[in-house]
Amino acid sequence: MGMTYIPSTLSEALRLRAEKGAKPLAGGTDLMVQSKRGIALAPQFPFDVMIITAIDELKGIRALDDGSVEIGALVTPSEIAASDIVPWHVRQAAAGMGAIALRNTATIGGNIGNASPKGDLPQPLILLDAEVVLASVKGERRMLLDDFILGSKKTALGDDEIIRSVIIPPHDFTYSFYRKIGMRRANAISKLSLSAAAVVKDGEILDFRASSGASGPRVIRSKDAESIIKGHMVEEIPELMDSFLEAWNNAISPHAMPEYRRNTTRRMLGYFLSSIHEGASPGIISEEV
Amino acid sequence: MLSEIVFYVNDKKTVFNGNPLTRLIDVLREDLGLTGVKEGCGEGECGACSVIKDGKLVTSCIIPVGAVNGSHIYTIEGIRDTEKGKCIIDAFAEGGAVQCGFCIPGMVMAAYALLSSNPHPTEMDIRKGISGNICRCTGYDLIVESIKLAAEKGGSIWA
Repeated sequence: MGMTYIPSTLSEALRLRAEKGAKPLAGGTDLMVQSKRGIALAPQFPFDVMIITAIDELKGIRALDDGSVEIGALVTPSEIAASDIVPWHVRQAAAGMGAIALRNTATIGGNIGNASPKGDLPQPLILLDAEVVLASVKGERRMLLDDFILGSKKTALGDDEIIRSVIIPPHDFTYSFYRKIGMRRANAISKLSLSAAAVVKDGEILDFRASSGASGPRVIRSKDAESIIKGHMVEEIPELMDSFLEAWNNAISPHAMPEYRRNTTRRMLGYFLSSIHEGASPGIISEEV
Repeated sequence: MLSEIVFYVNDKKTVFNGNPLTRLIDVLREDLGLTGVKEGCGEGECGACSVIKDGKLVTSCIIPVGAVNGSHIYTIEGIRDTEKGKCIIDAFAEGGAVQCGFCIPGMVMAAYALLSSNPHPTEMDIRKGISGNICRCTGYDLIVESIKLAAEKGGSIWA
């Protein structure tokens, strides 16, 4: 059984990470459940753990000078959902996580570091080309979240690193779409989630992107599929639709998705594209009635 | 680096020196005797162990005590004699919200957190407010009605 430390500053935490290899425990909503032993028994881990909840340097959401938004690793889904500077897709995903108590406890750093394919936040963050900031005693490095998450429960986190924050570059989408499908309205693990966005100007689709969650070991983004739509005119959507949907279907992990998930994804993307083609008012494209 | 954890439970200072991974619910129930905090699933899914930490609803079964240094925790025992607590408890009695009762301390804490931030909730707000609390008797309608009653009867105490 490992030791447990409670660092109060980031530099203490980075030293513990480097010297002991202690793994960070933030909200605990994944780790405490995974290592649960029962009533009146403390969870046990086969490695050293550091409870990082108190580290102020990892808290807070701020707007950066270039229009990006930086979210500290310890920021909770409740704080993200209530923010007026975090992009809409990410706020939607945060608002749909678990139920209130979980949203008050879980953290964005944990949701990313745990790298569950069903995690709710990586999917919209990858849509937005978010980067993760990794800190160690040697300094900091930044990488695309899409490159950081290598597979189910696998990340590129170094043995001496911790996730410090997430940086989301600015976007100005004409149309946005987000949907999470779970078994219940609250406290549901994603069966499927989808984000999509488009920039349209004078009838031309300047940007088009989509990301699928819970659809394979990693979040699905496909630049190849996106390029079928991107750069074309809105009036061309009907003739591009089939080849786009086919390319998206091929991008999805072959074994990960039963047919109903593929059909549902195809239907949602088709709905989003049709709405743009039919001249929907700019803003959120919503399926909810 | 912390070696002891100091926090406040129902306004009483508590000092903890044991394993920091000890679950908050076990400190509350076993060390402090606050057995109004119930353990249902032990995985943060059912809400029976809900307490208020620094003004926010949390499930005490998945929070390690090492994460609450400096925090103020309120359990059902800490709010039941307050004006707001009494208002909810009386409304639950009047509205017939309680069947077996196991989920009720958690439901009251969720209602307390909801009404403290939203004094005039709609029915949907109430249903969302207790969406992390499971009642195996499935008596949700009467619980929702009772929370509505607490909002109406409490009036200005929630403002």
